[in-house]
Amino acid sequence: MNVRSQISMVFHLDKCIGCHTCSIACKNIWTDRKGAEYMWWNNVETKPGTGYPTQWEDQDKYSGGWEVKDGKLRLKSTGKGRVVFNIFHNPHMPSMDDYYEPWTYDYQDLFNAPEGPDQPTARPVSMVTGELIQIKSGPNWDDDLGGSPVYAENDPNLKGLTPDQRQQLSAIERLVFFYFPRICNHCLNPACVASCPSGALYKRGEDGIVLLDQERCRAWRSCIAACPYKKVFFNWFAGKSEKCILCYPRIETGQAPACFHSCVGRIRYLGVLLYDADRIEEVAKSPDEQLVEAQRSVILDPHDPEVAAAARQNGISEAVIESARKSPVYQFVKMWKLALPPHIEYRTMPMLFYVPPMSPVMASQDGKTVNHTSDDLFHDIDQARVPMKFLANLFGAGHEGKVRYALRKQKAVRWYRRALTVGDVDMATAERMLREADCSTEEAEAIYRLTSLCTFSERFVIPPSHREQAIEMMKDPREHQSFAGFGFLTGPGRAM
Amino acid sequence: MKNKATPMPFYLVSLMLLLPIALGAQEAAAFFQQNCASCHTIGGGRLTGPDLKNVTQRKDREWLIRFMVNPKGMIDSGDPYAQQILEEARGVVMPAVPGLTPETAASLLDLIEEESKLPESAFKGLQITDRPFTQREIELGRQMFTGDRGLTSGSPACISCHTMKGLGGLGGGRLGPDLTRVYERLQGRQGLGAWLTAPATPTMGPLFRRYPLQQDEVLPLIAYFEHSAQQGGQDTSVALLNFFFLALGGTAVALISFDAIWKWRFRAVRAPLAQGGRPRGET
Repeated sequence: MNVRSQISMVFHLDKCIGCHTCSIACKNIWTDRKGAEYMWWNNVETKPGTGYPTQWEDQDKYSGGWEVKDGKLRLKSTGKGRVVFNIFHNPHMPSMDDYYEPWTYDYQDLFNAPEGPDQPTARPVSMVTGELIQIKSGPNWDDDLGGSPVYAENDPNLKGLTPDQRQQLSAIERLVFFYFPRICNHCLNPACVASCPSGALYKRGEDGIVLLDQERCRAWRSCIAACPYKKVFFNWFAGKSEKCILCYPRIETGQAPACFHSCVGRIRYLGVLLYDADRIEEVAKSPDEQLVEAQRSVILDPHDPEVAAAARQNGISEAVIESARKSPVYQFVKMWKLALPPHIEYRTMPMLFYVPPMSPVMASQDGKTVNHTSDDLFHDIDQARVPMKFLANLFGAGHEGKVRYALRKQKAVRWYRRALTVGDVDMATAERMLREADCSTEEAEAIYRLTSLCTFSERFVIPPSHREQAIEMMKDPREHQSFAGFGFLTGPGRAM
Repeated sequence: MKNKATPMPFYLVSLMLLLPIALGAQEAAAFFQQNCASCHTIGGGRLTGPDLKNVTQRKDREWLIRFMVNPKGMIDSGDPYAQQILEEARGVVMPAVPGLTPETAASLLDLIEEESKLPESAFKGLQITDRPFTQREIELGRQMFTGDRGLTSGSPACISCHTMKGLGGLGGGRLGPDLTRVYERLQGRQGLGAWLTAPATPTMGPLFRRYPLQQDEVLPLIAYFEHSAQQGGQDTSVALLNFFFLALGGTAVALISFDAIWKWRFRAVRAPLAQGGRPRGET
């Protein structure tokens, strides 16, 4: 057992209202620079929809992630031999058009335009070329089903749905959508790290954050092709790739990352998981239907004394182990099995998990009355407007079992709480539903608390980074202080 | 003044090292063989340049040295004797010889004076037969020119830098001049033979000094050049055009094969999607 710690995340999709506050918080801190205008380390997509970049989930086109070939795990986009063959031309590179051309507006036009019969308008100007442009798309172009005949209907997750189900998704009174916020998954088996010919990408040992060394990056852009989530971006001005750093300067000082901190719906949870690094390759090779369970099995129980001992042996500090025991992620993923990894079939083993969203049941309009196809407003999840198959394509590698389990448990908890607080539901029925959903009343209470009443410190359980100890390994702080003075990285010049 | 000044004797020594020293008899002979013999003989008749036998009696040493060091300058200055030399050489200007200083020139004149006194000079030049060449010799020369028959010294075949009329295909190299009428330019067998024995241009000189042509290789080449000059004409631009079309075709083939090799490459996703969008209600 080779125990390591990983800062992991849960996004509770049932709580996301799609306000994009997270995206703006991130943009303002990290990507408001030249060359980075088009990057959204955090973005929120509408599902069904094609997302950003367009149809990123279609790996037949983008060739991201891993595949199992002859019993071996290999990258779809590159490899030791192929990197040489494609050295002057990376054949899987998305163009800026597949993201979008970033723009601003020429606001001067509003003030300086000559008097005329019409209101002056601020014309869009490309932030790349500085020329006036016609806007063709944007980072959330298909927000709230905008342009759905083009975008929503071409969502790769609609694969395997019957024509009827597809039709229902966009039919009036039946139409449905939910939000899908995305950041870098800080995967256990990151394709970007594996693909980099310069060794610029690495997974940080102490907390598993995947980072890109700007000094070592040589602009091969293999990572951009290899990441199936398209969360590594190429800065066309700096000539280096960039990605989400999980706000590690904030994490190291005990603060939640900006997108987590700013989340209005409080959908985001962050905590440490302990996992067995020796089993990653074996698990990543599992057949599709076993992937979700296999990944869960890599996550270790921090309460287990054996695990704790192995963790200590690997140099994981007591504070991190203690933090792992309080981790909300551990509860959502491992104990309650509510949170599922996105597109586990890419085999990168993402460490960002999603609680699948609930949706209203199907309805049809008859004159002035709206008829529901089921009387059980919340019970019948198979009658929900979002087809189970669609969610299964997103969170279960196409297999519905784990998704159904998570949705039934959520539904049972709702009924249980409804029986308790509103009282219009029979408690006996509620308890039967809990049993059917493999959930005790204590667990239901805990899920309810962490979902609805969670405080800041319950959502973000950030282990101390002990940077003060880490720096002592590199240099003696007292010696540095006497040499550089107070508040300087290098010694200040003499004033006189 | 700082104390880093170099001592005076150091300058003196370096100056003395830099001063050209008159060549010994041995070096002068070698210099003549390498730099002069391709155009001049001593008592062997004129090649491209005049026979140098008794040249010191035709003109005074001072004038000769000035001419040797800077031939073009002398001709341009309008010196009448220099003009006469130019006329005799049918307009071929003697190239400035690298490393030919006034001191070296003096040594060379000494050498020429000595050699002129001998009944048979060592620099009489290659004596080439006047008989008509056989078809076999011409063919042999052609083979050596094209590289079908390698040169014994291992030096590159003529075709790698030169072209000729009637080579066919893409013709020869374009780095050096067209050699179809070189026989006429170098004024016959003697001139051509002397040139081939020791080419003097900055391009060919260094190369063939190390890997010279053998005596028995010179004759067939002369045969081939003579034959070619008799045919007349020059290499036409057809070969150049062939080359252009071959390059064009090759580029097209390369591009098509690249397209085939990378046919599964990523192509635009969003733009085709947006163009292929259909109005709501149609299926």
